[in-house]
Amino acid sequence: MLDPIFECRSAGVTLSLNGGTRPIITDIDLSVHEAEFLSIVGPSGTGKTTLLRMLGGLLCPTSGEVRVKGELLTGPPDGVVIVFQDYANALLQWRTVAANVAFGIERKLPARECAERVEAALDLVGLSKRADDYPWQLSGGMQQRVQIARALALRPAVMLMDEPFAALDAMTKAGLQDELLRLRDQTRTSFVFITHDIEEAVYLGDRVAVLRGSPGRIESIVEIGLPSPRDQISTRQMPEFLAYRYDLHRAIGHG
Amino acid sequence: MASAGGPARVNWPGLVLFVLLLLVWEAAVRFGLMAFEFFPAPSVIAAGAARLAREGILLDDLIHTLISMALGWTIAMVIGVSIGLLLGFSPFARTFGLASIEVLRPIPGIAFAPLGLLLFGFSLQTELVITVLPTIWPVMINTMGGIANVHPRLTDVGRTLRLSPVEIVRHLLLPAALPSIVVGARISLGLALVMVIVAEIVGNPAGLGYGIVREQQAMNPELMFAYIAVVGCLGIALNAGVLALTTALWPASTRGTS
Repeated sequence: MLDPIFECRSAGVTLSLNGGTRPIITDIDLSVHEAEFLSIVGPSGTGKTTLLRMLGGLLCPTSGEVRVKGELLTGPPDGVVIVFQDYANALLQWRTVAANVAFGIERKLPARECAERVEAALDLVGLSKRADDYPWQLSGGMQQRVQIARALALRPAVMLMDEPFAALDAMTKAGLQDELLRLRDQTRTSFVFITHDIEEAVYLGDRVAVLRGSPGRIESIVEIGLPSPRDQISTRQMPEFLAYRYDLHRAIGHG
Repeated sequence: MASAGGPARVNWPGLVLFVLLLLVWEAAVRFGLMAFEFFPAPSVIAAGAARLAREGILLDDLIHTLISMALGWTIAMVIGVSIGLLLGFSPFARTFGLASIEVLRPIPGIAFAPLGLLLFGFSLQTELVITVLPTIWPVMINTMGGIANVHPRLTDVGRTLRLSPVEIVRHLLLPAALPSIVVGARISLGLALVMVIVAEIVGNPAGLGYGIVREQQAMNPELMFAYIAVVGCLGIALNAGVLALTTALWPASTRGTS
């Protein structure tokens, strides 16, 4: 196997809060490979978001180390981008959809290349027709797609997603899940996908990591051997799917 | 901001009532129901305004008031936005500065009129002292709040898209705070007009405010009322103008602001 893009070695984050210090995550050993889809599940309060912010370079590990393509992580790394859960706060409300998508690249690329990338990214998420609208004129699912397009326009090696579909209805969610898998196949981007929805984690993931405890640590990592491409109806009915679902519920501590 | 976006709509019922009130006033004076010596009918006031306009006095006074107001407002904007940004960005500055602001802010601007007179006599400077001080607060407070209330997620977005700290301020925090700053600027402009008129009444003998006093002392109530009406119209025109300008410059900024 090729060298991993991400490699965490007993990484941990301790935050100082109200004068005291609190370990949020500890002893994280994790790797992410090219074009891999890694789901991370865990109950709330186990540091899922902290883990993702650490991978995205918004928080520095206070113990252990995180390497991105061999380089020690010290800040937001090149080629890694976070997609946040709260799309309404994460989008620039005063910019059109196209200008939002251009935001990450417009200062680095010539105008023509930038326009091409914006068009391509909007095309990938199916929003070409809404390029001139403002975010508030779109539905929640479309706004989240704008945020995904903004990340895609960077042509990232890794997309880190923090419960991106948690605020969306079930049908929109299913559509976007399939869109992500298609994007992964088309662009060879790796995904680290945080969710509290075990079925979503299994459906999307090549592997599912379970975060548990306080401070959170990785309880187990499950290889998901479901056939690709996945299908919302047939995949979710497979006995293997149900078995993974069962195992993961047990690993998290349900039942 | 109900009229944001499309062309301003005319509030016909409101206008009808206003015209009706004017007619009642006119009739009351004509038929002797209200018989005060210094209470002219609207038609007489209108004739007085026309005379002032013909003689060119009104335009001179209007220009003086507009220039004083623009000067005072501009100075207040520069000071208010600068200090507001400092306070918004720096919790340290807030810790030290807010107490002073809370002490100074409730002092009515007119209380500084004697100070202005003492320093600058009956002059434009006095007018500016009286105008600038109270006009600073709305834009300063709104600028500070606008910056301090930007959702922290926008900074996360800037960092994950690998913007520099300066770029984050310039491309994310300032634009996000702009609607709030614009609201503060509008409130300040309305206040600047009020304070300029006050300053011209008590301080600098010039402009529309002085016109009101001058005609009162000259026992020309129709001209006094004409000046008052012009001041009112100026206020309406300024607010409409600023609103139209804001909507034209930043279509997104007038949506959902309060």
